[in-house]
Amino acid sequence: MLSLRVPKIKLERIVIISQWRAIRISVYSIASAFLIFSLVLFYEGADPLQAFQNMFSFAFDPKLGLSLTIHRAIFIMFCTMAFIVPLRAGLWNIGMEGQFYMGTIGAFFIAYTFPNYQPEILIPLMIIGGSIAGAAYGAVTGVLRGRFNVNEVVVALMLNNIAFWIVYLLVVGGPWAGIAESSSRPLPNSAHAPYIFNIPFTFFLAIAIAVLLFFFLRMTVTGYKIRVLGHSETVARISGINQVTLFAFAMTVGGAIAGMAGYHMWAADPAFLMIPRPDAYKAIGDLTYWGIIIGLVCLLNPIPTIPASLFISSIITGSTVLVRRMRLPFGLDFLFLGIISITFAAFQFFYNYRLRVMRR
Amino acid sequence: MGELLTQRSGVINVGIEGLMLFGAATSFLTAQTFDAFAGFLAGTVVGAVFGLFHSILSVSLKVNQIVSGMGVWLFAMGFVTYWADRYTGPLRVSIPKIAGLTPAVFVALVILVALWFVLNRTHFGLKTRAVGENPAAAEVSGVNVVRIRYICTTVGAALCGFSGSVLLLSYLGAWSHLPTKGLGWLAFGLVMFSLWRPGILLAGSLAFGFVWQFAISPHTIFPGFPAPLPVNRMLPFLMTIVVLTIISTESFRKRWALMKPEALGQPYIKE
Amino acid sequence: MRSADSPNILEVKGLVKTFPNGVVALDHVDLEMKRGEIHAILGENGAGKTTLMNILFGLLKPDEGEIYLNGERVVFHSPIDAINKGLGMVHQHRKLISAHTVFDNIILGHPRTGRIIEKNKLRAEIEELCRRFGFKIDLDARVWQLTAGEKQLVEIIRALYRGARILILDEPTSVLTPPEIDGFLQSLKAVSKSDITLIPFVTHKLPEVFAISDRVTILRRGRVVKTLRTSDATIRSLAEDMVGRELTFELERPLVQMGKEILKVENLSAMNDKGLVAFKNITFSLHEGEIFGIAGVTGNGQHELAESIFGLRKPVSGKIYFEGKDITKHGVLERLKMGITYVPPERLGVAVVGDLSLIDNVLLTYYFEKPLTKAGFIDYKLAKNLTEKIIAEFNIVAPGPGAKSAHLSGGNLQKLILGRVLIKNPKVIIANLPTQGLDIAAETYVRRRLLECKKMGIGVLLVSENLDEILQLSDTVAPIYEGQFVRILNNVNLVKEEVGAMIAGAYSRRGTVYA
Repeated sequence: MLSLRVPKIKLERIVIISQWRAIRISVYSIASAFLIFSLVLFYEGADPLQAFQNMFSFAFDPKLGLSLTIHRAIFIMFCTMAFIVPLRAGLWNIGMEGQFYMGTIGAFFIAYTFPNYQPEILIPLMIIGGSIAGAAYGAVTGVLRGRFNVNEVVVALMLNNIAFWIVYLLVVGGPWAGIAESSSRPLPNSAHAPYIFNIPFTFFLAIAIAVLLFFFLRMTVTGYKIRVLGHSETVARISGINQVTLFAFAMTVGGAIAGMAGYHMWAADPAFLMIPRPDAYKAIGDLTYWGIIIGLVCLLNPIPTIPASLFISSIITGSTVLVRRMRLPFGLDFLFLGIISITFAAFQFFYNYRLRVMRR
Repeated sequence: MGELLTQRSGVINVGIEGLMLFGAATSFLTAQTFDAFAGFLAGTVVGAVFGLFHSILSVSLKVNQIVSGMGVWLFAMGFVTYWADRYTGPLRVSIPKIAGLTPAVFVALVILVALWFVLNRTHFGLKTRAVGENPAAAEVSGVNVVRIRYICTTVGAALCGFSGSVLLLSYLGAWSHLPTKGLGWLAFGLVMFSLWRPGILLAGSLAFGFVWQFAISPHTIFPGFPAPLPVNRMLPFLMTIVVLTIISTESFRKRWALMKPEALGQPYIKE
Repeated sequence: MRSADSPNILEVKGLVKTFPNGVVALDHVDLEMKRGEIHAILGENGAGKTTLMNILFGLLKPDEGEIYLNGERVVFHSPIDAINKGLGMVHQHRKLISAHTVFDNIILGHPRTGRIIEKNKLRAEIEELCRRFGFKIDLDARVWQLTAGEKQLVEIIRALYRGARILILDEPTSVLTPPEIDGFLQSLKAVSKSDITLIPFVTHKLPEVFAISDRVTILRRGRVVKTLRTSDATIRSLAEDMVGRELTFELERPLVQMGKEILKVENLSAMNDKGLVAFKNITFSLHEGEIFGIAGVTGNGQHELAESIFGLRKPVSGKIYFEGKDITKHGVLERLKMGITYVPPERLGVAVVGDLSLIDNVLLTYYFEKPLTKAGFIDYKLAKNLTEKIIAEFNIVAPGPGAKSAHLSGGNLQKLILGRVLIKNPKVIIANLPTQGLDIAAETYVRRRLLECKKMGIGVLLVSENLDEILQLSDTVAPIYEGQFVRILNNVNLVKEEVGAMIAGAYSRRGTVYA
């Protein structure tokens, strides 16, 4: 289909992809996104270098955007890890949005039921509650796939929408409604996340989980089994690895981590501390899809997700400055994120093919 | 309908929401400057463009179809916000109505019949169905798998773009931030729910649509109807999951031929 | 029978095809087919039949040589070219759309179908065709509802409807049950009476070949051994020509006292993936230090048997005993833990994961027990040592234990697969086509190692298509045909052609007439 006259470029299929090559592709795709966005900036009459400088300085400035950057980064880290674990077993966890919503419900449920507990007890309970809710949701997808071979992507997408409406049911004019009709009651004070060096403790929780996952996948038998399963279901079968249980397990773990994000998002951001209006919490739900992209960029390795999440989150936070301070048209920040998504998708092509220039 | 055609040829396009967004935005802006017809046309064309993009990525370049679709969707969200949000506001042109319904409804019905006819009565439709089931077998029978998938995906996406135009021009009449509000996902579920048959699709879309709107003010029809809005909104998705599970079980497979297109979502690799 | 002066409809001259890995699949093959005859091509697996077939149908291009149709030179770039020139192919692995009806499958891609499907007109034409040849088939049935024989019929009808004058049939009788075979052979005869040439490609099932073909060409190792009229041959002579007389290598088979019985299979039956019976009522035992060789051509149930014994396939009836215990219901993991191991017929993607390191692949047989696994953690240091030990002991050429297994050559990979099993000192090794795709050096090495298992008291169940291999290695030989053991023989003074005849069907129910 694609062929150029001079010089001739041949498309060659790659069977195995080396680690370095994959990393290079990830880097290239981000770089290209920056390039394309620069073009847009030019078009709008702005200086790209200055724009990027503003973005990043805002995002990392402790007095301005840094706390927001870190907060969102933590959120994305959770989502990314929630995506990575199932994919290691070969399952696409597109259902993080739903698991996040369920985690929110789980955490808030605990908070509202036991508002008078000490923070030391309440907060871990909330996290556990959120995890269990998210895990259960993930398990549904996992079991349906393992037992009945129903495509997990479709189930997850449907579940996402369902979960959205469950939250709606509880919050908008429902049992959890607050003063404003469409958002929830605020969380009790003891539920607020404590800060260490001005950083919500969930940051350390996320890092701990990342490290734990790293060792889990590398060193434990179950982690090994998951990896083998992800590479080849046939080899797993011949080696006595049980697909059904592992699928359910992987999705449950993924769901649990996404559920934790449900606690973090609201309880660790002073701007929220409750469940906001539907479009606001939907916007956060949409953020979960970044987990997919960052997960793929990090090649399913938990440790790089830490810097990668920070990076992406700085872009998310920083790009708002483009609109506000530099008076650039509204929506430019969204656009940048959109460009990153689509260039990344396009660059996936390089996983499968190598371009070879042939001299005639 | 667009996604139904695409999936019948074996390609999953999860970017429906994005295509609708693009269609809506493009047609809105076009209609503001030109007229309604141009708006519809523009929306459809934009849909086709992105359908082509998705085809190139998933069919020729063998990129994972889910990733590609998501890429389109996320990009659409970003781009459309950037492009059209500054024009937030009502539409300046109005669409003539026929018998209280917008002409788009009639267009849709015509397309539905055409879709049914093409799929079941033409050679092209037969080839498409074959490609969705077993591309290797189709290839051996002389079917150009790649071409069929391209056509189905692009046309399907064009229809999605058109639906975005319809949404905006005929119903909403004004632009706001991300107006599609999850309808694209509803459509995705609907395709699966309809078991890839145009007839069921019609029934399903009426049912889904009814439930969706019914949820807003159930009291007008059934006073005292207990289920609140969110529950009704959840129903279509729940029903889709249930249906999918049922048709995936062995016993169902043996009795009915209503399985999903076998090769759905799998890239076609020539030996 | 056709007279010898019918014009040649198809001629092949000097066909050569060499694959990138150096294997010469076809070595100056000449063929001639006469119009309206049934001309069978016989050969073992690896003799070049598949390659020849693919070239004839346009799926592969030959390196040298020419193909003539009706005296005119033709070059095929794709199957479509071949179809347009009147060649039709009936594949061994069905290329039909299961969810569609028979009618839909026949008209798919046909030039006559046009834009809008005129159901009635086309239907009438197809029904006329069926009438002409005496085919009985329900056009509205869905393909998944049909039996294997009926599916094959659909493919034939489809090819004929496309106007094929030459039909290539790939192992046509391999999936048919005995009652279907008669009907099928009748249909073939009817087709050939209409001046259509039929070329069945077969590896065995000699009785059927005998029953219907006019002439036979025998391929061995890429060369034509001879072409003759079927009436001038017997099943024995055909088997001989296919298999060759001399043994191609010599290996010392150690004489070891057979130990106690460790594996007993009783009346085992199971289905294959297509839902047909793979094998029925198989009974035998395996002893310590014994190599039990199951000889047969792929498709006779031996692979399904191996899988059932390992636990990958559930039997429908019968029992399996290991060291006296009934293990019929046990899963793969449990059997692995008991010491029953398996060497699958394919490597990458089946026995090993290409993207994982050698260490990780070795772990596939160790991850479920000590000492490499402790309290749920993998001891990678120990694993690395073990891998290095295997590499050294088995002379594996590899960059190191951390290298990805996809970087190893086939031979070295097989050594690793065998090595990780042998080092464990298992009780039973089920070796399914252990030397498939290996070069001579690797083949010999694997065979020698398998022989050594006898001294270690390991019971080996060997499944192979290579008669030389079976005869050199096994203590007990069981030729398998159509899912049953023809005999269970002690490997004392066995004659190769005898065994060859058995696996070709000479002793089957229909074969006894001709044996």
